[in-house]
Amino acid sequence: MSASQSAVRSRAEAVKVSRTFDWLICFTLFFVILGGYHVHFMLVAGDWDFWSDWKDRRLWVTVLPIMGITFPAAVQAVLWWRYRIAFGATLCVLGLLFGEWVNRYFNFWGWTYFPINFVFPSQLIPGAIVLDVVLLLSNSMQLTAVVGGLGFGLLFYPGNWPMMAPLHLPVEYNGMMMTLADLSGYHYVRTGMPEYIRMVEKGTLRTFGKDVAPVSAFFSGFVSIIVYFVWHFFGRWFGNTAFTKGS
Amino acid sequence: MKLIKDKVAKLSFVALLITVTAAMFYAPAASAHGEKSQAAFMRMRTIHWYDLNWSKDAVPVNDTMTVTGKFHVFAGWPETVAKPEVSFLNIGIPGPVFIRAGSWIGGQLVPRSVSLELGETYEFKVLLKARRPGDWHVHSMLNVQDGGPIIGPGKWVTITGSMSQFTNPITTLTGQTIDLEHWNIGNIYFWHAFWYAIGLAYIGYWVKSPVFVPRLIAMDAGKADSLISATDKKVGLGFAIATLLIVAATMQSTNEQYPITTPLQAGLLRGIKSIEMPARTVAVKVDSATYRVPGRAMQMTLTITNNGDSSVRLGEFMTASVRFLDPAVHEDDTGYPDDLLAEEGLTVSDNSPIAPGQTRTVDVTASDAAWEVYRLADLIYDPDSRFAGLLFFTDESGNRQMVTVDAPLIPSFI
Repeated sequence: MSASQSAVRSRAEAVKVSRTFDWLICFTLFFVILGGYHVHFMLVAGDWDFWSDWKDRRLWVTVLPIMGITFPAAVQAVLWWRYRIAFGATLCVLGLLFGEWVNRYFNFWGWTYFPINFVFPSQLIPGAIVLDVVLLLSNSMQLTAVVGGLGFGLLFYPGNWPMMAPLHLPVEYNGMMMTLADLSGYHYVRTGMPEYIRMVEKGTLRTFGKDVAPVSAFFSGFVSIIVYFVWHFFGRWFGNTAFTKGS
Repeated sequence: MKLIKDKVAKLSFVALLITVTAAMFYAPAASAHGEKSQAAFMRMRTIHWYDLNWSKDAVPVNDTMTVTGKFHVFAGWPETVAKPEVSFLNIGIPGPVFIRAGSWIGGQLVPRSVSLELGETYEFKVLLKARRPGDWHVHSMLNVQDGGPIIGPGKWVTITGSMSQFTNPITTLTGQTIDLEHWNIGNIYFWHAFWYAIGLAYIGYWVKSPVFVPRLIAMDAGKADSLISATDKKVGLGFAIATLLIVAATMQSTNEQYPITTPLQAGLLRGIKSIEMPARTVAVKVDSATYRVPGRAMQMTLTITNNGDSSVRLGEFMTASVRFLDPAVHEDDTGYPDDLLAEEGLTVSDNSPIAPGQTRTVDVTASDAAWEVYRLADLIYDPDSRFAGLLFFTDESGNRQMVTVDAPLIPSFI
């Protein structure tokens, strides 16, 4: 067989090869995205995602969607504009969540024995599905950034609240009031993390009284719009084939 | 020549294998907290921990022990270290092998950061509940914002039993009693699995049809519009609407299930009460101080004035948690860690009682291998060559009085 001849001899064989290729790419893509996104997320969201006593109604709500929309935007750009595949964002957040769970379970619990209820990751799946569907329905980067990006920020807090609410029950402990999340942070000693490092409840949203989380979520959504644009273009640039021969 | 090259390559490969294997089999546990690697001046001139007591050497899982004592915030705090205006009383243990059931400074619970004053002395207590079996080095520790951790002396404590027996019962203000060790874990697993399943179902819809190759061919052929069908859009819309409805419904049901929740608590605790120390009746002036490198000894010439009404003797010099004692005056019976205790490490040229009103100049030598072992000798390489520490005088009734010293230090290399 010469180099110019096809490796497949029938349509059935071509379909089979194509499907094998699909699974190989999906598997590889999942783990490549997992690796890159996970490192990125640990570096930029880090402690806000690691510990339940960092998951406040201001900075956690603000920081995580902004830092979380990055890879979904870039991967969407590649998969949509080159393949019309509408699951880029969902694939990213599933990869991230899988990587986070491996990290939390084996490192945080298995290695250093922090209880899972103190170190579980946040989940970004509802926002990612909405982001993908907006792109699918609109075929527009601008609309996806504005509607999907805003949705990504807005859905984060309510999407995680069912897991967080039980940790925000108040406790009276030796004459002071804390939440169960605060108490976990106090009980389960982190030698390298003194309390003052914890960046929670800092900011200037006091005029909104107790209803701070929705304001933070809107702000997060607005910034997510901008971040979506930037990372979408990263994705487009990264996914171009200008450097390959004959493209 | 080729034969020699091959042999060298083979041997190098074998050597590499042996090295890797040896490294795999010899992996000793890290058993301390790097206290020796902290700059000597930082340990000598910031926080002085003293009168420390570890209530137990061995403790079963679920049982408690305390670490108590005092710390003096040194008035001659080095300029290069941020002042302890925002500090946190921590405990130096390898992760949550104990839980910190309580920590107090001056009787005030300090789960948050505190503001401390230079020159003041504070009493502290840390209550620990044993969680994970093993031998653990338990240090007192204070973190200073922008200054880093300042670690105190550490002592080995053994935890016995099984971690599976550990419980952490807490009663909330809503009246529930829960085990914080396991609380909410099933709920977390459920919601993560639930959303993961929805995410997989969404991707599953797309990957049930050929994904990459035919789509790329169609895109290159300009048939992008043919790749998204009306069904695709309907299914996508269905997923989006279902997602929004589920998020709204679960938020609502969670709020109904937990109507009372509070935000995370944070903030600096000010006004921490220091110990009201009795007026000092002993005054000490450091006339000179040298560190003799070959002898691992610090020699000080001190002029001591006793302004009290009872004669006193110098019994102890303590710096960076290392205690140098004159056994004729003071013996330790608190079980202080051996490696930090030089029981006969203090020599005073004339240590007869200094009578009330008397002034005496004495030569004091603090010598022990601890200078080297604890890398305190490194202070001769500091940019600001000073030493500092606490002197403890004992009067006729056995009362101890603490006096701080802080003076330039001249190294002696011969």
